[in-house]
Order: sequence, then structure tokens, then C-alpha cells
Amino acid sequence: MLNQIGNYSLYIALISSILIIFQSPILLNKKSINVSGRIFSLISIQSLMVIISFITLIIAFINSDFSNETVYNNSHTSKPLFYKISGTWGNHEGSLLLWLLVLTIFLFIFTITSKNLSNKYRILTLFFQEIIILGFLLFILFTSNPFMNLFPIPNEGTGLNPILQDPALAIHPPILYLGYVGTSIIFSSSLAALMSGSVNKTWAKHIKNWVLISWIFLSIGILLGSIWAYYELGWGGFWFWDPVENVSLMPWFCLTALFHTILILEKREIFHSWAVILSITTFSLSMSGTFLVRSGILNSIHTFANDPSRGVFILCFLFMLITLSIFIYFFYQNKIKNNYIQTYIVSRETAVLVNNLFMMFFLSVVLIGTVYPIFLEVLNNDKISVGPPFYHKLIVPFMIPFLIFMAIGPNLNWIKDKISKINLQQFLFFILSIIVSFIFLKKIGVTYLFSLPLFIASFFLFFITIKDFSVKKTNLSQKISHFGFSLFVLSVLVNGVLAKEYSSNMRVGDERKFLNKTIKFESLKINENKNYQSLEANFKITDKNNSINLKPEIRVYNQPQTITSEADIESTLYSDNFLVFNILKNDGFYNVRYQIKPFMIWIWISVILISFGGILSIVKKNG
Amino acid sequence: MKIKILILIIIYFISFFNFSYATNSEKVDKISKNLRCLICQGQSVYDSQSDFALSMKILIQNKIDEGKNDEQIYSFLKNKYGEWIVYDPEITKNTFLLWVLPLILFVFGAILIIRKVSIK
Repeated sequence: MLNQIGNYSLYIALISSILIIFQSPILLNKKSINVSGRIFSLISIQSLMVIISFITLIIAFINSDFSNETVYNNSHTSKPLFYKISGTWGNHEGSLLLWLLVLTIFLFIFTITSKNLSNKYRILTLFFQEIIILGFLLFILFTSNPFMNLFPIPNEGTGLNPILQDPALAIHPPILYLGYVGTSIIFSSSLAALMSGSVNKTWAKHIKNWVLISWIFLSIGILLGSIWAYYELGWGGFWFWDPVENVSLMPWFCLTALFHTILILEKREIFHSWAVILSITTFSLSMSGTFLVRSGILNSIHTFANDPSRGVFILCFLFMLITLSIFIYFFYQNKIKNNYIQTYIVSRETAVLVNNLFMMFFLSVVLIGTVYPIFLEVLNNDKISVGPPFYHKLIVPFMIPFLIFMAIGPNLNWIKDKISKINLQQFLFFILSIIVSFIFLKKIGVTYLFSLPLFIASFFLFFITIKDFSVKKTNLSQKISHFGFSLFVLSVLVNGVLAKEYSSNMRVGDERKFLNKTIKFESLKINENKNYQSLEANFKITDKNNSINLKPEIRVYNQPQTITSEADIESTLYSDNFLVFNILKNDGFYNVRYQIKPFMIWIWISVILISFGGILSIVKKNG
Repeated sequence: MKIKILILIIIYFISFFNFSYATNSEKVDKISKNLRCLICQGQSVYDSQSDFALSMKILIQNKIDEGKNDEQIYSFLKNKYGEWIVYDPEITKNTFLLWVLPLILFVFGAILIIRKVSIK
């Protein structure tokens, strides 16, 4: 019964989509004042239908309705309620339905918040957005329908991958998707603005909110994924340059570049074409991200739900959208107003261009690093791996000038500024950064090639962004985000050079010395839980002043049978104590890995600050 | 006196042994971080606890004990398992574009900006 409701709602949504697509060109010719009531009601019906089908799926998951194939494949009666619900989007079919849900809701929000804009622009945006929605509806209904019937009805499901049964990962996909899908509105509206010849200040002002919203959700989504990887994958790292992580980082670079460009477009009416190109690119990257993750062609720790045959559909759809947008771009390019305003080299405009240059560079490194091995394998049958060393080698040297530009750029004036603006005060801060970095690195004894200049640049940015809080010229949200970023870079660096790690095989009762600490394996006990058994260890870490107890677990899930290690982490403002243990073959021995990770919490806090700047910017404007 | 000297020599060797052991295990860590665990999903040998990774670490340890340097170990592993095992691809005919393309794009972008802005 539930399956039918879900299924039919999706078909009704499909029909609405087709109706809207065929009606929009007709409405364009009419000189009606506003998006007609009929289209608006069709959009409302569509959103409602998709919401209903999504709720149906959630109910099926909550009730463990195993007549539904998706539920059967991804749920189990013994799972806690929270993970039954989050299981809805923890699989291929459900996550696509979530994509669709966000697509339609965003379109609905767009329609009701754009009433003061031109009719042509609105209808065209609806048109493009509906094409995307139609594509996803077809994809869902014909290749990955979440409402497939199963008969005879099984008594028990096969369960959800236990490493997905985690609070951070339960909300990670929806948040990330809000970011991904937000870029679809940017895409549709930039094409619409291009066709209606309204790529201008007003458009920039309107779309800026959407850029910010997508950017905020994407940032927080990436953060959640990163936190999850930190404590759940059990290696103590927070970023692995894994293909699936890279895929979420790429639109982020693009959105960051776009946001800065949009600001210039709003203020100075320049860089129109570039803003449109970036909008198209951002969405293409989000779509390719979905394609790469869903198709399973990436060798990644994150490939939980994939199916190669489905990838082909997304690939074709993506190809069609990109081709369409390139055609529209070249066909309507002449409609873009070209203000031949001179851009001077020392100005805020140039600073933004430099920001864009670096963002595009980082983007290209990540993009090429991620897809190059795939192409090489197809063309040449050679398998290569591109991992952290590659990204570090290419990104780190460019970080140094980037950080310095970021410190200077926001202090420049619009239009034209004097070179002498890079003044004594900044010079003093620079000297200060050199001294601080030198002393710091000397003290800890790190002598890598790039560490000194890298530390100088990041301390410089850090000091300047703090100083900027006393300057009235720029707005508060920018200051917070930029300060957050400098804090982020600094924390990552300090964490990188100061992290300490100890690994050993231990039995209960063993004691090991590490630095000035003693690690004692005190006890081991077995706990019974609803859907897993756990082996909980108790380690006592003692140094001169105090001692802490860390209790990592090894969990044995029964449905499906999986073993996971849960790290125990004690976070303080100064550093994290991270301990994880694994079963070894030799009886009684466990592999124990203890890590001290300084300033770990500041990495999370800084990303929250970066996003908070964006939130503040939205709230302030609308409040 | 002789006993004292003997003890000192023994302590010296013990400390030397410990010292060299410590650096060796650091070396194993360093190398194994750059290797892909071939039977895992996107994990490095260092991070993995699989049988493959464990035997790999022992293999690296043995190679170091034999006095092989990093490069010899990498090339040995590449011959045995192929390029796929190292996370840091060497610059070869195949990977030339991988390393150079981003740099070309950067230079291209920089030229565009320099042409766009006026230096006055």
C-alpha cells in the first residue's frame, strides 16, 4: 500500500514536470505580469507529491516494511529508530529521492522569493530547473525506484552498513545535498538571466543568497563528513584526499570563487560572463560528484551504495545539461552587457581575480588528481594511484602566495588603490610573523623545505585578520569568515607538525612508555547492545600531572555481520587524545594506536566560524 | 674496571639497537603511508590492519634491515605490484600531464588576469 502511494506520487510529480516544461514557452510569449497561477500550483503539487513519497519511504523504514525492496536491503528490525530513519537516505535509491526532494523544495522556495524579479527570468529559471527535476524523476522511476515490491515478504531485512550508523553520518548526506542541490538553482537562474539579458546587479543581488546558502551547507556538510572520518574510520586523520571527499571539495572551491565574483558583479557591474561560467561549472561539478560517487568507478572508502549501470544514465544526463548550457552560453553571450571599465592592478577587483585564480588552481589540482587515474586506466590500461603526497606537493607551494594575497586583498579599495597601501603596519606584521614562525619551528625542531614560509604566510594572515576586526571598512561577516579561514590553516599546520603517534601490540595488563606518558591496558569487558556486541577496553594514560581513561570499543554488529573499531577521543582546547584498538590474530594481543593531536578541535571550530560568517551575512541582509 | 667497561659497551649497544630500531619503525611508517593497501577500499598500508598490510609492513621492515634505501624499496614494490601501489605517482610519460596540467592552467589564468588589468 505504502509503495503504491510513493510510486504514484512520483508519477504525478513527473506529469507536473512535463506540464510545466511545455507550458513555460507559451507563457514566455504572453505579457503576463507574474508567473501564472497555474504554473505556481503545478510547482506546489509537485513539491507536495515528492514530499509525500519521501515521507512514505521514511514510514516504510520506520515500520520495517520489508515488502519494500529498498527497506529490505538496508534495514533491520533490531536497528535503533534513529538509524532506521537515517537509513532512508543511507542507500542509493533513498539518497536520490532526497536529491529530488531538495530540488523541488528549493524550486518552490525560489518561486515564492523571487516575486519582484522579471517574469521572463523567473519562468526561464523554472524551465531549466524542471528539466533537471524531470531528469532525476526519470532516473529514479526507471533505474532506481525506491518503491519496488518484494514478494513473498521477507521476515527480516539485511541491515544497514554499521559504519553508517552514526549521528554525524546520519545528518551528513542531507546537509551536503542541500549544498549540492542549491547549486542547481544557481545554474538554472544564471542560464535564465543569460537568456533574458538580465545578468546584472539585480540578478547578482538575488542569486548571492543562493550562492551563500549552498556554500554554507556544503561547508558544514564537508565538516560533518570530516569529523565522522576522524572518529569512525579510526585512523586519526580528518582528510584523506579520498576521491569522494575531493568530489565535495570541488564545488566548494567553485562556489567560493563564484561568491567573490558575485560580490564584484553586484558592486561594480563587471565580470558578467565569468560569473555565468562559474555558475554553470559549479553545478556541473555537483552533478559529476553525484555521478562519480553513485557510479562506483571510484575506488574509495566511501562507496557504500553504487551500481555501474546507473552511472551511465547520470553521465548522459550530465553531458546533455553541459552541452545545453554551453550552447546557450555561446548563443546568448552577446546579450551580456560589456562594461569596458578599466580594472587597475592595485584594487579590490584584482584581489578577487587573484582569489579566483587560486581557487581555480586548487580546483584543477583536485579535479585532475581525481579523474586522471580513471582516464589513464581507460585509455592505457595503466593503474596509478593519486594520493595525499600528490595533492600536498602541488597545493602547499601555492598556499604561501595565496595566504599573503588573502591578507592584503580585503584591505584594498575598490576601483583603484595605491601600492603604498601595503603599508608599514602590514610590513611590521610580516616581520612579526617571521619571528614567531622562526621561534616556533626552531623550538619543535621541524625543518621541512616549505614549513618556514608556510608558517610565516599563515601567521601573517592570522595576525592581519585579527587586526582587521578593528577596521571599519569591511563587514563583520567577511571578517569572521576570513579569520576562520586563517585559524583553519594555522590549526591544520600546527596539528600536522605537532601530532604524535604511538602504535604497539598489547595485552590486558601491559604497560608502555611513550614520550613522557605511560599507556596502561587496564581491562576489557563485553557489553551487549540492541544490535551489536561490543568489546570495551579501558586504557589509562598517565603523565606527570594527571591521568585520563580512554575507552575505545570494538563492535561486532550482527546485521550485517561487521566489525568496527570505535575510537575514544578526549578533546581539550589544547589537544586531542585519540586511542583506537584492533583485534590481532595472535591470542590476547590487540593492536593499539594512541595519538596526540594538538589543536584538533580548532580545526572544527574554524570551519564553523567560516560558515558562521556566511550565515551572518544572510541574516543581516534580510533582518 | 673491565666489568664496568663491558657494561658500558653493552649499554651502548643496547641503546644503539633501540635507537636504530626506533628510526627503522619510523621509516616503515613513512613508507607504508605512501602505499595503497591493495585489498582494502582506499586505505593506506599504514592505516590498515588487514593481513596484506601487516605482511607488507614486515616486508618493508625486512628490506630496511637488509640496508635498502627508500627508493630501492619503492621500485621493488612497484615491480612486484605495479604503479597502483604507490600514492605518489612518479613523473613519467603517463603521468606528465597529471603533474603539469594544473600548473599550465595556473599560468594561463595568470596571463589572462595580467592582460585584463592595467598596470598604472
